Amino acid sequence: MKTSAKKKTLKWNSLRELGILLAFIVVLVTLMILSPTAFAKPANLLNIVKQASINGILATGMMFVIISGGIDLSVGSIVALSGVIAASFAHPGEYPLIVPIVLSALAGLAAGVLNGVGVAYGNIPSFIVTLGSMTIIRGLALIYSKGQPIFGVTDEFEALASGFAFGSIPILVIYFLIITAISAFVLTKTVYGRRVYAVGGNEITAKVSGVSVKRIKIAVYSISGLLAGVAGLLLASRIVSGQPTSGQSYELDAIAAVIIGGVSMSGGSGKWYGTVIGALMIAVIGNGLDILNVSSHFQLLIKGSIIIVAVLLDVKGKRNQ
Amino acid sequence: MSEFLLEMRNIDKSFFQVKILDDINFDLLPGEVHALVGENGAGKSSLMKILMGIYSRDAGTILLDGEEVNFHTPREALSAGIAMIPQELNPILDMQVAEYLFIGREITHTNMGPVSIVDHKAQIEQAKNLFEDTGVDINPRHLMRNLSVAQIQLIEIIKAISLDSKVIIMDEPTSAITFKEVDTLFEQIRKLKTKGVGIIYISHKMEEISEIADRITVLRDGKWIGTDTAQNLSKEKIIKMMVGREIKEVYPKVKVELGDVALEVRDLLLKDKFQKISFSLRNGEVLGIAGLVGAGRSELVETIFGISKPEFGEVLVHGKPIKIQHPMVAIRNKIALITEDRSATGLNLKTTVEHNISFVQLSKLARFGFINNKLERKKVEQMVGKLRIKAFSLKSMVNSLSGGNQQKVVLAKWLLSEPEIIIMDEPTRGIDVGAKRDIYLLIGELAKAGKAVLMISSEIPELIGLCDRIITMAGGRLTGEIPRDRFSQEEIMHYASKFEVRE
Amino acid sequence: MKKYLSLTIVSIMLLFLIVGCAKDASEEKTFGFFISHQTNAFTSELTAAVTGKAEELGVKVTVYDAEKDPAKQISQIENAVNQGIAGILIEPVSVDGLVPALAAAKEAGVPVVVVNQRISDESAADSFVGVEHYTSGFMEMTAAAGDLGGEGNVAFLLGPLGSDGQIGRTTAYYDVLKDYPDINVVFEQTANWVTEEALAVTENWLQTGTEIDAIVANNDGMAMGALKAVEDAQMLDKILIYGVDATPDALAAVKDGRLKVTISQNTTTQGQVGLETLVKLANGEEVESEILVDFVLIDINNVDEYLP
Repeated sequence: MKTSAKKKTLKWNSLRELGILLAFIVVLVTLMILSPTAFAKPANLLNIVKQASINGILATGMMFVIISGGIDLSVGSIVALSGVIAASFAHPGEYPLIVPIVLSALAGLAAGVLNGVGVAYGNIPSFIVTLGSMTIIRGLALIYSKGQPIFGVTDEFEALASGFAFGSIPILVIYFLIITAISAFVLTKTVYGRRVYAVGGNEITAKVSGVSVKRIKIAVYSISGLLAGVAGLLLASRIVSGQPTSGQSYELDAIAAVIIGGVSMSGGSGKWYGTVIGALMIAVIGNGLDILNVSSHFQLLIKGSIIIVAVLLDVKGKRNQ
Repeated sequence: MSEFLLEMRNIDKSFFQVKILDDINFDLLPGEVHALVGENGAGKSSLMKILMGIYSRDAGTILLDGEEVNFHTPREALSAGIAMIPQELNPILDMQVAEYLFIGREITHTNMGPVSIVDHKAQIEQAKNLFEDTGVDINPRHLMRNLSVAQIQLIEIIKAISLDSKVIIMDEPTSAITFKEVDTLFEQIRKLKTKGVGIIYISHKMEEISEIADRITVLRDGKWIGTDTAQNLSKEKIIKMMVGREIKEVYPKVKVELGDVALEVRDLLLKDKFQKISFSLRNGEVLGIAGLVGAGRSELVETIFGISKPEFGEVLVHGKPIKIQHPMVAIRNKIALITEDRSATGLNLKTTVEHNISFVQLSKLARFGFINNKLERKKVEQMVGKLRIKAFSLKSMVNSLSGGNQQKVVLAKWLLSEPEIIIMDEPTRGIDVGAKRDIYLLIGELAKAGKAVLMISSEIPELIGLCDRIITMAGGRLTGEIPRDRFSQEEIMHYASKFEVRE
Repeated sequence: MKKYLSLTIVSIMLLFLIVGCAKDASEEKTFGFFISHQTNAFTSELTAAVTGKAEELGVKVTVYDAEKDPAKQISQIENAVNQGIAGILIEPVSVDGLVPALAAAKEAGVPVVVVNQRISDESAADSFVGVEHYTSGFMEMTAAAGDLGGEGNVAFLLGPLGSDGQIGRTTAYYDVLKDYPDINVVFEQTANWVTEEALAVTENWLQTGTEIDAIVANNDGMAMGALKAVEDAQMLDKILIYGVDATPDALAAVKDGRLKVTISQNTTTQGQVGLETLVKLANGEEVESEILVDFVLIDINNVDEYLP
């Protein structure tokens, strides 16, 4: 009986991971068949990765939080706040480029630290803490920008997210790759990463085993906030303005990417490459359906269905363990 | 008509071509307690799951009162008169006792289907009557949350009685209750017997089985080994049948010269949990803590380890007072705590055997925060070998292991940190005989190596067999200290229940 | 402890409420300006126009921000009516949802003027001051069709499907195209008024290789997203871009020759006329039930007049 249970678990785990990859490939191939000339072009594939990058960066931070057993609803608002802060320091002839970069990242980091302190020391569920901070930070973005988009940024600022590297690879893709690589390394190769999984897997066991659960929690929300700050900076550069209303419901796209990637909502498990696939999946669907000129309303329908199927796989997988 | 209440004949079951039940026969007479024993993985639970309709069987027949039955869900089994009291009780904590008792079959004022109004008064009256009939003293208005494990178990039994169950399956009913509460449980079982109810009793505890069982069936590796009356089967014989080999001495006590004082606790106090506890523990010593559930034993060791903060008193390690505010500090002082509930506080069930074992020691297996995977693998392999942990691979999820092997994983995780003071809270609860023996041997080895061992157990024979000295707690107070030459079941019980005399 | 704290807070709040009411009652004639939200250039400009006009006329105006929530706007109106507001100037959150609340206010003798966004039942208000979205769409598409010389491929970026602005402007696009059979609509997609969505959608269109000669957007925010995508693809010499709203960055882009046309809906005039009309009503004067403000088409020739 022992061996059979084991076999079953193994099968399921690999099936689950394979399932996500398989679904991704099915979607890709279907779109390639439907649109062989436009969709399957290398230039368009790079375009997809570029469009996945900002959500992918947010999803990477979200992944840390969800693996630790929490959730961060404030990232969309942080995108807006750091975006308007970045744009406001990027007018020509005022500050060097480093100033908006550092300030927007710091704004994200500060928001993340506060989220983390609220969750760790306030002993309030992360859903509630970040639901509150989501509203507060959106308010701050509107107050800071007086409710108006901030225009008139320098060309260097615009080039941050619009340029290319190694010829034809969009610079956003490079940022996404670097952030993913660092996160993958931290999650799989460091003591800290192992502890994030442990806190999400069983908080009490982690504490009994000598881990400062509070410190780990503050750190995951800080990572999420910092990455949201970076995403906000890049978005502001991409749309050449800081818009206090940007980033609406970005938190949901980030959560969706993480869940499609097979990270369990109850924490403690999940793989970094799942999140990458999840973010790519969302971008592929958006791009493919745009190219096929399908109405956005159907896009929502399809995106929602994929999330539910992914979670179904997740729940079923767990039941079978 | 057959004389048997229940007959299971030639039951077969396989998962993925692995036969987990092979031609099993089991029967039950009215008014009989039939014990089902075997090591974990022997097939006891699977057999019961087939009876309850949770698993389907590949072959064989089940007869209830001489008629063939075929349950597809536990609900069907329940309505046919078969009730199961699981090992892990999972009550709805925020319900009143009476509400819980009648859940799913509420007494209502009028019958209006799902919108009927529940008659709370009638439910409480009915519950009172049931409690009087069974001689149980529980207030039906109390919340389930406020009941002890033993009381919840009684509620489950009463629920089964009130459903007119003919067969009651009890899966390890004494694994979480103390010997005093076991008496109450046995009293209830005897009452059920006089009413003609048949009881299938699953347990690892030989003493209990010989006391309560009429017949005993032993399973091993999914095969039926034998069935006989309790009188004909001695403890040694049962164990031999279970493990397939003879285990000579159950408790391998090693003689060790005691060293210096390793751990000293002075006037430690946590309000409502325990009062001014003082004791000391020496290198090479195995000190046992006996007591009833709720005596404050677990809370005491958790406080020593830094999980809770004491309100008064101090803890000295090798004569040096330390401020243990977090388990981190305890670990730095080379203390280990093997907690009572391995799935809640000992393991991370969502990860692998390897990652569980290396977890406490992780920062020592890393440089600048980067884990040295080779070193980790090597250390974990050593521990797995040393403790004879049976796992498919180190990358297996820890929840795919048997209870005994899971417990060994917890031990491995703590031993990897090379502790000097090892605290174990119920280290052998709910694990099979083979794993128990391995843990007993390990405790002996630790003492021999000069480590200090502090051990909580509710199995008094285990404490008597392993300890150099036993202290007893009752109602949060230290009530006695017994040296090895005065060890006896009676003496320990006397001190462990002392608070009732005083209050 | 907690109990006392919350009790204290509640009593303080009550006190403020009472004082606030007393103060409101003692002053005479306060008008209310109810705005759907205050998060973009358009609503900010509208608010500034109303408050500026109030100073000029010497009347008192309180601004209520509904934060895009119809339920909130309804309760704001109800509360204001209960406190004896002299008149209601409203930019409604919802076309239908506000009708009952406004009808009730009118019933209670409070004059109601709706500005910019029509409500579904015009009898619930005394007057409407604003523009027809249809007209702006018509002007925008006519300009584009003229620039294309009556032939070519166009793509539409739409606001949230079902919103008033989207329906009015898009209907006008197609009405204009009836006269231009050689202009084909190759793409049509919503970007929900949002710059970054329009950017991604346009990037995806450009990947298809389909020839696009003009992108006509329901607002400037989306037009600016399209502009960014087209510039990144270095196709600005091939594709003309059109928007509506005359936001500052759109005006700057028109000035640089990157955006072909934007259309001003004379937001300031709408706000000013709206308040004027309301004050007239409160003084018992007769007003028209519909006062339309003219749009202005802005291109490279007249942009300097509108640049700040």
